[in-house]
Amino acid sequence: MYTFQVFDRQNLRCLFLATLSFLALNQHAAAQKDSISLSPMTVYGFAPEKFMSGLKIQKIDSVTLEQFRFRNIADLLSLNTPVIFKNYGPGQLSTVAFRGTSPNHTAVLWNGLNINLPTLGQTDFSTIPVAGFDQLSVQYGASASVVGTDAVGGSILLGSLKPQAGLQVMVGRQQESFRNSQTQATIKYGTRLDNNWNFSGKTAAYDGSMNNDYRHPERNGEAISPATTFQKGLVQDLFFTKNEHEVSAHIWVTDNKLTTNPENLAGRQMTRIKSYRSMLRYQFEGWTVRTSWIRDIIDYAVGDYSKLDHAVTDRYGVHAERTFNWKIGKSGSSIQMQTGGEFTHYKTQVENYERPVITENRGDVFVLTRWQATPQFLISANLRQAFVTGYNPPFTPSLGAEYRLIQNRPYTIKLRGSLGRSYRVPTLNERYWKDLGNPDIKPENGFNKELGAESVYAFNTNHTFSANLSVYHNRIDNWAYWNPTNNFRVENLQLVIARGIEAQFGWKGNWEYWKFGSTVNYALTNTSQEKIYDAYASDIIGKQLPHIPLHSGNANAFMQYKNLRLTNQLQIISKRFTTADHSQSTPAYLLENFILETNFDRPHFGASFQARINNIYNTFYQTINGNPMPGRNFAVSLLLSAKTTR
Amino acid sequence: MKKQLSRIFTVTLISAIAWSCNQSDPAPEGTYVQGVFVINEGNFSQNNGNISFLTREKNIADSDIFSIVNGSTLKGGMQGYAVAGDHGIILVDNSNPGSDKVEIVDANKFTTTGSIGAPDIENPREVVAIGSTKAYVTNWGTLNSNSTYPAGYIAVVDLATKKVVKKITTDKGPENMVLHNNKLFVGNYDYSEGKNLTVINTTSDEVTNAIPFTDEPNPIGVDANGKLWVQAGLDLIRVNPDTYEKEATIKISADMSKSAMNFAMSPDLRTIYFVLGDFTRGETYKFQITDTAVNLATPFAKRMFSGLAVDPRQGLIYAGVTPSYTQSGYALRYRSDGTLVDSVKVGIAPTGFYFR
Repeated sequence: MYTFQVFDRQNLRCLFLATLSFLALNQHAAAQKDSISLSPMTVYGFAPEKFMSGLKIQKIDSVTLEQFRFRNIADLLSLNTPVIFKNYGPGQLSTVAFRGTSPNHTAVLWNGLNINLPTLGQTDFSTIPVAGFDQLSVQYGASASVVGTDAVGGSILLGSLKPQAGLQVMVGRQQESFRNSQTQATIKYGTRLDNNWNFSGKTAAYDGSMNNDYRHPERNGEAISPATTFQKGLVQDLFFTKNEHEVSAHIWVTDNKLTTNPENLAGRQMTRIKSYRSMLRYQFEGWTVRTSWIRDIIDYAVGDYSKLDHAVTDRYGVHAERTFNWKIGKSGSSIQMQTGGEFTHYKTQVENYERPVITENRGDVFVLTRWQATPQFLISANLRQAFVTGYNPPFTPSLGAEYRLIQNRPYTIKLRGSLGRSYRVPTLNERYWKDLGNPDIKPENGFNKELGAESVYAFNTNHTFSANLSVYHNRIDNWAYWNPTNNFRVENLQLVIARGIEAQFGWKGNWEYWKFGSTVNYALTNTSQEKIYDAYASDIIGKQLPHIPLHSGNANAFMQYKNLRLTNQLQIISKRFTTADHSQSTPAYLLENFILETNFDRPHFGASFQARINNIYNTFYQTINGNPMPGRNFAVSLLLSAKTTR
Repeated sequence: MKKQLSRIFTVTLISAIAWSCNQSDPAPEGTYVQGVFVINEGNFSQNNGNISFLTREKNIADSDIFSIVNGSTLKGGMQGYAVAGDHGIILVDNSNPGSDKVEIVDANKFTTTGSIGAPDIENPREVVAIGSTKAYVTNWGTLNSNSTYPAGYIAVVDLATKKVVKKITTDKGPENMVLHNNKLFVGNYDYSEGKNLTVINTTSDEVTNAIPFTDEPNPIGVDANGKLWVQAGLDLIRVNPDTYEKEATIKISADMSKSAMNFAMSPDLRTIYFVLGDFTRGETYKFQITDTAVNLATPFAKRMFSGLAVDPRQGLIYAGVTPSYTQSGYALRYRSDGTLVDSVKVGIAPTGFYFR
């Protein structure tokens, strides 16, 4: 699999030399000061969060992941974070706007690997079901120095979790209104192989069909655009561990087939996205070495499907990093440093590109540091330089700090701040599309500043409160634009400034049988184009970008008695303009869902049941004009599990 | 509040009476009896085209008059508008297949009176009206799955019964039409490979001739001398509309990277305006029917437009500007000497104008 057809040797050598010199430099610097005692420590797994101090990271808890087990990630994120989606309808294209940026500005990482489609530079979030991963973190703001390209507005971090020893089998199904359903099966296993080696793994499969059979195909006189989506996926994780060694293999195969207007045999449109993602990872003491291969296939056809528009992109990658840990004297101060490099070979075959097969090489070298200066004070300084064939991405540094103003009391207050540069390597479409692509397009260049405060207050044994506040300013220059006055050629015309405030409040109440909790998210997002690039730009300048609401928020509240849990979900989106000059808009809306859950657990057997009412007020809403979303609808799901006890 | 209301009512009543006293003839009533209708194509994937309206003496247009009057949008891209008698006919092209339609409105009030959709109407392109109840609508039909064009058709619409009474098969990608002496000349879209100009007898609604060209023909109009002008590729061809003889061919430009588009004829039928460009840059030129070559040295305007038309009443040239598909366009008004009168903000992607 990992054959590199065309090696850009020059680039490769330069990359490895750079990595080596970083390593050498660090060793050297460490050796010079004898007050620094070297004591390497091992960090397992891809843990980019570690070097993101100063940035806001929201880890989605396992209860929430469980609650959304049969749904897609866009549903989860829109009800639990301020991330905004633009969606054509259930099962249809769903694109993200994170902190007022474009769909190209959110990095989606799977076990540390960027899985955005390289042709489009984005992810269709309707193709990512929650069933495909075990862990989810949302990282707000630019983190390109840690994550690399696309991490301009934020990053979505998906991860696999090493299963525990024993055998666990889970089978579940969700049945929804409109003849929509999803079935999934998961097997987790773990055992001791011999005195040294442990083995564990997970095999999961999911199969969803959305027929979207609406009884009333019109809402408020507007036709709901008919579409069907069939989605299948297979996840395979294998872990072999021995003391400080871990070898793991990860595979995630997805197949998503969307057909719009399926009844109209002459005019129907089929978009099928198949992704084969695989990764082999070896961790040893401070080292992590990873190889990966991703193949993305996009097929598009109209009518009788006799002519298939077939696009294939392969990415072969190697990644190596080394983590160092130093304790400085007896002060309790410590430094952790990760340095490494990444190399990816791209091969793309897209009919409308200027050449039938296009290859390019991309590399990254990085040094990430985390300095726990005092128990209160934490500083991160990260540097990254990316290399792309025929291309020059900007040097990307970032600096972040966290200060625990108050700790070791019933309440804690943590202050954080971050400054960071970000970049986005243009998509393959932007560079290579015949006639319209622009090989000379510059990478977008962002600068993100933010401040935040986090607080947790354990009022007594029953009540815990939490609050999280962020303000940010993200300036993105050379924003690429398919310019209609230049026959839609891609140009670096725009300068976008996104600024905003995010607030999150939580409360949890725990009693013997009763549990209560509530989370409220609010985001003020002000994002606008600021650069005059033609005579008519004055109609746009300073105005909120289309499809991004100024105000958005969600609120979740639950009450639980023993094993019975009732959750209320609320989502509020203010008016969105659908054109850049604000001449057209789509109105504000409020959605409310109810979820009733119960489960029972026996030593060898478990079951959980969920019943859900979506859009209980039957609100008419749309995120794109002319594409009304469905009204009130229902879902029930049942998950059965059996496991061995240890 | 009540007082205010009654005051408003009184004032309105007085002005209404005063206004109606001004009218000497029993002219048709309605806001849209006289003026300029701007066809804003909109952004195709957003189905947000509309029709703006302005009276000639004003430089502010009412945007989306259909939704002002009817309370809902037309839900598609706008492809054309024409008036026959008291009927207005709007061509609506939706990005969802099977959702295209022609919307029929009261031409004076713009209230909707009905619509005709699939399968009669599929990818409607242009409309011309004849008499007080009849309209011809060119339709591409559903494109082949490899994006090539099948033979298209003309839907003959009876506006009184709101029905398509006949479908006349044409060449591939039928587009612009010119009416002349009981004949309808039907041209084809630039990339359709339909290279015959179809001639239809408007009495029998039958195809009588198919005139072959080397490129897709686009009929422009019949000039003061009774000659039909046709553009095909970079050629301007003068055709005898009775014998179909090609009397003269004038090369617009030898630069094959450029395309000629958006042709419009002046009210005196002696001047043809058009845009010549390579999609990224271009100019607007004018051509006299007696010229033997296009004067490329002195453009009419040193810019290109998404639509061109000449108001038969005032002779001003209306030129559509599309800065992008996510913001409002402008209609620029020029005098025939090329001086700019003003600029009026309209809807997204103004590509056509209808004068009443």
